[in-house]
Amino acid sequence: MNEVITNNDRFCTVALAALHHVIDPEIGLNIVDLGLIYQIDFDEAAKEVFVSMTLTTQFCPMGDSIRDGATRAMQQAFPEYKIHIDLVFDPPWNSERISEQGRQFLNR
Amino acid sequence: MFAATTSSKLVKNTTYKVVIPFYVYAALSFLFATILLFFSTNAFTQHYFHPRTLAITHTMALGWGTMIILGASHQLVPVLIESKLFSNFLAYLSFILAAAGIPLLVYSFFNFQFNLTAQTGAALINAAIVAYLINIAASILKSKTENVHAVFVFTAAVWLLVTTLIGLLLVCNFTDSILPKDSLQYLSLHAHIGIVGWFLLLVIGVGSRLIPMFLISKYDDHRMLWLIYFLINAGLIIFIVAFFLGLPSSVYLLPIAMVLSALFLFGKFCRNAYRQRIRKQVDEQMKMSLLSVAMMLLPIVFLLVLIVLLVFSFANTKLVLAYGFSIFFGWITAIIFGMTFKTLPFIVWNKVYHDKAGLGKTPNPKDLFSTKIFNSMGIAYLTGFVFFAAGILLANTIILQVATILLLITAVLYNWNVLKMLMHKPLIK
Repeated sequence: MNEVITNNDRFCTVALAALHHVIDPEIGLNIVDLGLIYQIDFDEAAKEVFVSMTLTTQFCPMGDSIRDGATRAMQQAFPEYKIHIDLVFDPPWNSERISEQGRQFLNR
Repeated sequence: MFAATTSSKLVKNTTYKVVIPFYVYAALSFLFATILLFFSTNAFTQHYFHPRTLAITHTMALGWGTMIILGASHQLVPVLIESKLFSNFLAYLSFILAAAGIPLLVYSFFNFQFNLTAQTGAALINAAIVAYLINIAASILKSKTENVHAVFVFTAAVWLLVTTLIGLLLVCNFTDSILPKDSLQYLSLHAHIGIVGWFLLLVIGVGSRLIPMFLISKYDDHRMLWLIYFLINAGLIIFIVAFFLGLPSSVYLLPIAMVLSALFLFGKFCRNAYRQRIRKQVDEQMKMSLLSVAMMLLPIVFLLVLIVLLVFSFANTKLVLAYGFSIFFGWITAIIFGMTFKTLPFIVWNKVYHDKAGLGKTPNPKDLFSTKIFNSMGIAYLTGFVFFAAGILLANTIILQVATILLLITAVLYNWNVLKMLMHKPLIK
């Protein structure tokens, strides 16, 4: 089940909408439905966002582009905030994290 | 203001500037080989030791197969070893040396003159492979993680160097008689070390990483991959020992059985990866790659028949030609077709859209080439391949001529699609 941990539901909705525009180019599916986003925390006082995300594999040759794409999408959604993207591989991504819409897309 | 920090746990990609020249050279070599084939159909009704056949074989083996694999491996090795490529300079150097050496060698084969031109060509190719081997070895040594795929690639590169060194000796032997026997006697040694040690080992090492990755399959079996590694290398060493000891033809059935077992296991590996895939749709490029795994069996069938005939003292040059053709125009070409249109779109996409990801809708890598052209190429290729193999076995020049037209069309369509990708302009600002 694709669940994103957050300390701010309202801002998280905005962040996920922005991250929907970032596509894993090989799969053609956005990184939210793919379940790559683990956690998004906001520090409103310090104007900082902390995104914890992963990749389908650590050896992903498109990893750079996906991470940078996520940074740009977040920066557009939160122009006043400093964006921190942390790539984590523990726990590793697994197919259980793909959302229902994502599954429908992959099974087309 | 763009204020962002990112943790860097990612493998740094090799720059496209290193990789793309290899792809372009390979595409042009394939086109050149099919043009040469078009004007050389008669050669395929004669003995395999024919100037035109040698020129086409080396254009395919070096200009097409080896160049594209060298280019792709500069991109893929960092992915396999989770570390940067050791040196871009060595990569450029290996390209320049090989790009200069291959035409000299092919020209010499075409004219059947093994003078200084041929020797210089062979020496340049060896220097290119030395540069490549140093680069791969240093990259692997720098990496913190040991992995089976990297060991496959490194061992394949060692076998490639052995192959090209034997090639250099054979070229020199034509004029200076430096070997105990004449060069023709060493051809099967030279060819099989190259085909099994270089192409097969590398394709399995890289394919066993890429096929599950592209299918989004969680399947992995390192024990099986190590067994495959052992079977291929041990089979090759037994073959070399048998060759130098002059053992009877029937002994060669043992290394063939070992390589056949390795192929069977690799087929099983691919099947398991396919069955455990998350992505249900399999694109045409992946289908072509998986088809090439099945196409590995065809040369083995030809080889088994050849060995059986040799045991009974029958030599069959048509079968030798069909065997060689099914390797270079069959298995190797099919896997290159599949993998070109899986890897090159990513390289171009990264070049064009890396700075634009997340800013708007970008095309997917598969949108950078035409699927219609790819499918037409696939049809022309498979028909041309079957016709040509039939033409060799039937010694029929009309069938061969029709096949060469189809293969030429294949090469034109391949080059067209590669050019389309390379010329791609960003669709978003």
